[in-house]
Amino acid sequence: MMLSIMRRTSFGRDPGLQARMLFTIFLLGAVYVVFIGVLFAAGAGAVTIVFVAAAFFLLQLFASDKIALRAAGAREVSPAEAPELHAMIERLCLQADLPKPRVAIAQTAMPNAFAMGRSRKHSTVCATTGIMELLSPSELEGVMAHELSHVINRDVMVMTIASFFASIASMILNFGFLFGGGGWGDDEEGGGFLPVILVSLMVYVISFFLMQALSRYREFAADRGAAILTSRPSALSSALLKISGTMERIPAQDLRTAEGLNAFFIIPAKTKQSLANIFSTHPPVEQRIARLQRLEEQLQGTVGRAA
Amino acid sequence: MGFLDALLGRRKVAGPAKRDRLFAISTAYVTLQTSFDVRPRGVAGLVFQPQATGDFAQIVRDMEEVVRSTGEETGTTLETRDDEFGYRWMILRDPDVEDLVVGVNAVSEALQIGGYGDRLLAAVFAFEDDRGKPVYFIYNYKRGWWYPFVPAPGAQQRSVERELQVKAQIGGELPIEPELERWFPLWGVPI
Repeated sequence: MMLSIMRRTSFGRDPGLQARMLFTIFLLGAVYVVFIGVLFAAGAGAVTIVFVAAAFFLLQLFASDKIALRAAGAREVSPAEAPELHAMIERLCLQADLPKPRVAIAQTAMPNAFAMGRSRKHSTVCATTGIMELLSPSELEGVMAHELSHVINRDVMVMTIASFFASIASMILNFGFLFGGGGWGDDEEGGGFLPVILVSLMVYVISFFLMQALSRYREFAADRGAAILTSRPSALSSALLKISGTMERIPAQDLRTAEGLNAFFIIPAKTKQSLANIFSTHPPVEQRIARLQRLEEQLQGTVGRAA
Repeated sequence: MGFLDALLGRRKVAGPAKRDRLFAISTAYVTLQTSFDVRPRGVAGLVFQPQATGDFAQIVRDMEEVVRSTGEETGTTLETRDDEFGYRWMILRDPDVEDLVVGVNAVSEALQIGGYGDRLLAAVFAFEDDRGKPVYFIYNYKRGWWYPFVPAPGAQQRSVERELQVKAQIGGELPIEPELERWFPLWGVPI
């Protein structure tokens, strides 16, 4: 008994991930501080822009869930309409000590699930009919636990705040190109505004990449949270494999029929650290599976055994 | 398959992997049994493509003879079965996993010495969990790696979750195929 408790405490910790997340947030903050400095240096007009953006920020925070639900074609469902999904989420919420979010279902064959809402009390989790058909109950539970972990980690709030200044920067860029665009060569008119546009461009680009990185770390954290909630990391791995590659990663084709192909197989290039990764909001499935596999090893108590 | 082979359209069927890791199961099964309650069913199968040549048939007959005669001491029994894919299963039964490994290795080695190593597909060792559900360990001769295969209820369904769990359990002792896309199933395993 003692052993299992001790294992439980070490299961699911990743100080490295937390450190990278903090560092990214710090860098984002640093970029924004510089940005504000430049805005003030450019004059009071910039402050007005900040106020306009703040209004957008609040709108985004309070209405984003409804907008996203509408965009996904999702509809909130009652416990009577989707008893199994509701029961599954209730169990997970009990486990996570979380108020039960609203539950929505989107009628689409695309396997997907997402969570929205600014706080733990105002959140909605949504699954598509496609994902509910594709996954087994334990795999679906893993996915819903992942989404609930986003709620627990307040990811909507974090990402909205993180994107605050990036959206201001993009607004200035838009204004700049619309109104200041004609004055590039004009020394008298465009002199004060040009550096603001350039700095905005830089802020936008840098914060874009930092935000993508932050988003990837949040995904890892949510995977980890899901594994801890359900204590079935491999169920989530299995779900990720099914969703991502329509199951092509672990083949369904029999070894006896695939054998003829094997001679022709060119070993697929490992795309572990490709440049494309920094553009994506989600980490590659291989990395997520590898981390979940490490969690499974911790859970099984086999971590660190040499091969 | 090398670049030049691809360029010139030369095609060879891959032979067995240089590094033979078949014997890893003869120690890994102890951990599976004691730590994770995954018990051997006392049966293993060797899957290969039978050839219509005289010497191949002779080798197979000889090997059957050898396994049967040594089986009188070790208690290993042997049966042969052809499946719907045109592959032949040499099925060995023995409560002792180490005897099974030795038997499977003897047959596969004889085929390799006879020049038919490229016809060897896989060795399959059958285990079951505490609820009697099968867990297969497949050794791919061409790759030289092991991987778990857990069939699930339903036509051609497998429990990837269970397979990944098993990988986490035994990956430290059994060399597991690192590329998941090569975890080919063997549907309708006759053991």
